[in-house]
Amino acid sequence: MSGIPPAALDDARVARWARQLLVPGLGEQAQLRLAGARVRVVGADAVAAPALLYLVQAGVGKLWVDDPETVAPVDAGSWLYTGAEVGRPRAEAAAEALARLSGLVSVEPYPTGGVPTATLVAAPSPAQAVHAAEAARRAGAPHVVVEADGDGGAIVTVPPGAPCYNCARSSGAGRPPLPGAAALAALAATELVLLIASPGTVPGRRFDVVRGVATVRPTVRLPGCACGAAPTAA
Amino acid sequence: MTTSAVVDLRRFACPLTYVKTRIALERLAEGEQLEIWLAPGEPVESVPRSAAEDGHRVVSVERLAAPADGFRVLLEKGASAPGGLP
Amino acid sequence: MDLSTKSALVVGAGGLGGPALLVLAAGGVGRVVLIEDDAVETSNLNRQPLFGEGDLGARKAAVAAARLRALFPGLQVEARDARFDASNAVELVRAADVVVDGSDNFATKFLANDAAMRARIPLVHGGVLRTTAQILTVAPAGIGGCLRCLFEAPPAPGEVPSCAQAGILGPVAGFAGSLMGAEALRLLAGERGAYEGRLYTYEARSARSRLVLVRRRAGCAACGGTQPLGVDEAPVCEATSSRSGGTA
Repeated sequence: MSGIPPAALDDARVARWARQLLVPGLGEQAQLRLAGARVRVVGADAVAAPALLYLVQAGVGKLWVDDPETVAPVDAGSWLYTGAEVGRPRAEAAAEALARLSGLVSVEPYPTGGVPTATLVAAPSPAQAVHAAEAARRAGAPHVVVEADGDGGAIVTVPPGAPCYNCARSSGAGRPPLPGAAALAALAATELVLLIASPGTVPGRRFDVVRGVATVRPTVRLPGCACGAAPTAA
Repeated sequence: MTTSAVVDLRRFACPLTYVKTRIALERLAEGEQLEIWLAPGEPVESVPRSAAEDGHRVVSVERLAAPADGFRVLLEKGASAPGGLP
Repeated sequence: MDLSTKSALVVGAGGLGGPALLVLAAGGVGRVVLIEDDAVETSNLNRQPLFGEGDLGARKAAVAAARLRALFPGLQVEARDARFDASNAVELVRAADVVVDGSDNFATKFLANDAAMRARIPLVHGGVLRTTAQILTVAPAGIGGCLRCLFEAPPAPGEVPSCAQAGILGPVAGFAGSLMGAEALRLLAGERGAYEGRLYTYEARSARSRLVLVRRRAGCAACGGTQPLGVDEAPVCEATSSRSGGTA
């Protein structure tokens, strides 16, 4: 409940997000919701990099980068990391690269116990993804999960109360990601921005992006899944 | 119908003129009026049209009295989009 | 697939060209030529991944090239700080194996289309506006139609979208530009394009995708390589300076 967002956009922010402020359905209140959001991003590798970048550029106020690993050689030559960053903690390297883009957004390594208002999960393994998604669900945070598979993959969007990630996820890990998976990351960022900026307008849905085309369907709760139980007191 | 606010936008260029107009309208309730002052040329040619496209009513466009340069435009906020969105 | 001998021309390095360049570079293309005649402006920064706050006022072509070289040391980058127009279009297109058009006005999009068909080089066309992205691949050797088969001409100056229509939700541009880059990689690898002869449209709120067939129109001068270049006037919504009719 900390960090009361400003009541109005200052001139610098109006100029920065002028193009977004013109989109029907978005406006000052929507942009302020983005500015007031604390978004935890789980995973900061080459797959997640475009998502991190677009969240910063869209005006998310605070980004928490949750990734304990170091920049791997395969991450160099991605949207955020140069070869010089190999071996550095990814959360730190991401924060630095993103801070260069915008001083209007704060990017930090995820603080243990931090409660996000929204979460983007681009974890490298299915088990980590399920765990992170479940944590977001319990915190009542809308979240989007990215499953890369070659140059495409899947995305599961979970607004509060919707069928959970476990109900909608793919059964195994995808093939190693290819550069075209940046589209998937950008789509995930789009979903998360809409969830934050226009709450209540995005239903639970799953995308499959194959050969450049996204097909979407509503998510459906698996019978007996705990995500359908009434929420307990926090 | 009282004017709720007056915004002088003559020093801004497109699209900032319309962005600021949109924000000012967003802060009003349906039916409330906004008076904006626009520079001649592109701003006065495009802002009222944009407002109309976004569902607001252009009540009037008049030249400002000399020596001021520009136009006074009165807009009336239209109904919000579905979902209460601007 | 080794693309190190391949070259891609990217028109524009902003909302569409930026992600396309990043995807092409990460995909191992040997050389990119980017052509871009703008300076970095504040309102670009909601969606153009090659630019940050520190680049405001700088020439986009130079900043884009520097950023690409820093991220991809093995990549050959040629940056042209110039407008893509009838005087250079065919020469630039002929020197490439694929063209990605990330330009932000219809006149340039049509010019890129016409030049690609004349030079017989495949082109990935794209546009983004508000919450909608569109992509079409124009393959001279294929059976689908070109941009002029789809729209016979750019919108007349009177039909210029107003400021109200100049909005762009940043990540949607990223989605479109990344898809365009991935499509270019497919074409460079000798595969059939996913958007060849089919216009792909994605709207972000409804999450709806559409594919519309684009057939070759009988008598299309562009398809025949005989369309005069640069005859379409660019309507101007001057202050946006990202002109009109589908922004980037």
